[in-house]
Amino acid sequence: MDQLYLLATLAGTRVAVDTHEVEAVMRLADVSPVPGMPAHVAGLSALRSRVLTVIDVAALIRGTAMPTRDSGFAIIADISGHSYGLMVDAVHDICRVPAGNLPLRGQLDAAWTPYARSIVEHEGRPHLLVSLASFIETGSLAQAA
Amino acid sequence: MDELLQEFIAETQETLEALANEVVAWEADPADRDRLDAIFRFFHTVKGSCGFLNLPRFERLSHAAEDVLSEIRAGKRTADPATVSAVLGIMDRIGELAEAVAIGSALPNENDEYLIGALAAPEEEAAETAAGPKPADDPADTVRQGGAQSVPRTIRLPLTLIDQLMNGVSDMVLARNELSRKLRERSADPELESAFERLSTCVADMRDAISKTRMQRVDRLFTAIPRMVRDLGRELGKRIDLTLEGGDVEMDREMVEMVVDPLTHIVRNSIDHGIETPERRRALGKPEAGTLRLEARQSGNQIAIEISDDGQGIDTGRLVEKALAAGRLTQAEAARMSEAEKLELIFQPGLSTASEVTAISGRGVGMDVVRANVERIGGVIAIDNRLGRGLRITLRVPLTLTIIPGLIIRAGGLHFAIPRAAIVEILHDNNQTLRIAEVGGAKIATIRSVRHSMIDLEDVLGLEKPAQAGPRTVMVVRSATDAPYALGVSAVDNHEELVIRPASPLIMATGVYAGMTLPDNGKPMLLLDAAGLSSAAQLPNIVDDRAVGEMEDGEAAARSIEMAPALRFEELSGERRLIKLSLVERVEDIDVALFGRSGGRAFVRLDGRLVPVANGIHDFAGERVSALRLRDDVREVCYPVAAVLDIVDMPLVPDLVAMQGLLSGVAVIDGEHLEVINGFALFGGLPDEPIRERPRGRCVLADSDDGWTREILAPLLRQAGHEVVLGLPSDTVVNPQDVVLCSGSIMSEAAEMLGCRIVQLRASPRPAGPQDGSIYRYDQDALMAAISGGRR
Repeated sequence: MDQLYLLATLAGTRVAVDTHEVEAVMRLADVSPVPGMPAHVAGLSALRSRVLTVIDVAALIRGTAMPTRDSGFAIIADISGHSYGLMVDAVHDICRVPAGNLPLRGQLDAAWTPYARSIVEHEGRPHLLVSLASFIETGSLAQAA
Repeated sequence: MDELLQEFIAETQETLEALANEVVAWEADPADRDRLDAIFRFFHTVKGSCGFLNLPRFERLSHAAEDVLSEIRAGKRTADPATVSAVLGIMDRIGELAEAVAIGSALPNENDEYLIGALAAPEEEAAETAAGPKPADDPADTVRQGGAQSVPRTIRLPLTLIDQLMNGVSDMVLARNELSRKLRERSADPELESAFERLSTCVADMRDAISKTRMQRVDRLFTAIPRMVRDLGRELGKRIDLTLEGGDVEMDREMVEMVVDPLTHIVRNSIDHGIETPERRRALGKPEAGTLRLEARQSGNQIAIEISDDGQGIDTGRLVEKALAAGRLTQAEAARMSEAEKLELIFQPGLSTASEVTAISGRGVGMDVVRANVERIGGVIAIDNRLGRGLRITLRVPLTLTIIPGLIIRAGGLHFAIPRAAIVEILHDNNQTLRIAEVGGAKIATIRSVRHSMIDLEDVLGLEKPAQAGPRTVMVVRSATDAPYALGVSAVDNHEELVIRPASPLIMATGVYAGMTLPDNGKPMLLLDAAGLSSAAQLPNIVDDRAVGEMEDGEAAARSIEMAPALRFEELSGERRLIKLSLVERVEDIDVALFGRSGGRAFVRLDGRLVPVANGIHDFAGERVSALRLRDDVREVCYPVAAVLDIVDMPLVPDLVAMQGLLSGVAVIDGEHLEVINGFALFGGLPDEPIRERPRGRCVLADSDDGWTREILAPLLRQAGHEVVLGLPSDTVVNPQDVVLCSGSIMSEAAEMLGCRIVQLRASPRPAGPQDGSIYRYDQDALMAAISGGRR
């Protein structure tokens, strides 16, 4: 398992994302808000001629909206034909983790359970391995409910 | 018609290729129902299309093949090798004929009867045919090489490629905009700017071209209909009044292609067994001529195409009988079925209510194909059946990547787009004709005594309503399904052509948005769904038609006051616009050679005067161009147009007031949205002084004997467009506008006495002293400035 992972901080937690899911990382500028949407949909932003739906992942996890940080980073991903930007606190590194996925131990905070599958250890510190698609899918489920 | 024919041929050839394998596979396994259906549909489509393209041979061949296949489908005949060969023979012949039509040569003249006979004939005869469906002396072979050149060259491209191009061009536009911002921040460099201008034009042209590859007006879908209706009507002895509406809705080319066939089928069905014969209609107390109505409109993120007739509708009882007879249904099941479920049977393959098979339709193929085609593009088909009174079929297909005229509105500090077609009327809330009342939280807007439910966009979307200085704007919004309602917004800012893309499911789930668009400023904007807004606000779906009657008289009176005659014309760029008729002095065709450009302004020479050209165009294709000659009380202006259409009555105040450049707003005339030219801005934008031709003063070169003057200075001045006179004129008639150029001071004194400007030249770069007003003779800029300065 010599898989590349993107390491980032999300809602104050260290996370790892499989790079297959990541298209790019960019600095968000000009997020146009979308009224009538749940708190975790921060708005729309343009990446060249594409329009991204910007998801405030921290709001999805904590349930409350963060003040929109225009200069924050976002991970760009293409999920079932639509482009999304997922807001993160910080992006640290892209690296190979020889050890690969490790099973999750300990009791995970309920807020994280829908998103985290396992952990990835890098430089002796554990990172939650999250799936970007799960943020979108869970997001729409929450909305439907 | 040519375009249709070519498309038919291309399609037939394509399908033939694909089908050849199917037929062989079907022969191997004659029980394969899906393959049989596919082959059957091919012949049915060919038969249908060539009926109105006037290709009788195609029609005969396909009809014969269809008959046989129909028998096989019904189980009356088995698909033995001879039959398959005969069917293949017919397919080959259709291919040959198609080829001949495509290259415009004479049709191969073999006897089709032979092939048709082979279909019906017993095996031994058919075997012969199968051996030689294409005789060696086929004349088409020889024609094929010679005529191939004349076919208009087209290629079919995968849509994904066009999408990629489209995205690439959009990226380019955004990059250009960014570059333009960067350029503005830096110092102005005319050279760089002109290069950038050229790039901009290229990008804009390219974007137009790429968008065109995708978009088509629904008109294109309707072109074949009138002819088909006429021909079918005549053939069947029926009289039909056809109404086509909404041809200007644009839809994706792919969508148009996908909808053509279903639409054709539905129209044929409707004429063939919907509308009754005149005698029967008379007996039923209906008008002799049946009405058939096709209407396309955009509703939210869908295009709805509605086909309605006032014929006999679908007899669901007979459908059930047929289904029972075909063994698809048991008595018990039939008894349990609701009316809607019975109607659903029309979509079963092989079922039809027609009691006899005609050349036009009635084999039951059709509705199943129609539904399959519509659903393949994510559309839905709905049937509204009124037995004995008519049938209305609605096709709803999605509107992806469509360009629609939209209004940009502002609410709660944000911008939104809304399709212009959804807007009936725009008013300010201080308008006399509008009264807004509030009762128990419900808002009611009464406009000219018609009551509408009213909602504020901010309330529906949960936005803050910021305080604003001016009046708010109230729009009357019409959605496809619901009653019109009034929508309050902060303001209507602009109208624009918008490229709509689907928004992500998260956003679509709210139901109030129909998509999103990315305007040139790079800030994404959402397109509102008119129907979604009203259902989100849970507005009652009641039309206030009580007031309509009482209002009509009043409105007629009001209209005569408010309307003004206007000229409807088509711009050179293709848009249709209106201009107040009273501004137009006359319309005439002007020779394009009379147009020119001077000092950055276009002008045209008319009756010996120079008249400014309003839209700044001075370069035309062709020899003559239609132009409107407009006049205020003093000045005249020429307005070249593509065509003058007609004179209509337009409301004095446009339905949508949006002052923007030359346009004062949008008026709706006969359901068409037309931009109205603003006469004030038009004349206000003219140069202050009338354009004069430059007075042609001469340059008098005093030292005509000097070699430098003769060989270097004179050519330079001539090149710069001056008239040059060598030596002081002997008759000493020097015009005060002339400029005398000399190098000696004596000459200059002499010239001074003549009363004209003198430009003194010197050979040394440095002036002789502080009093020296002469110009260094190689200082071109100063020289030219001195000469033109003398002209003032």
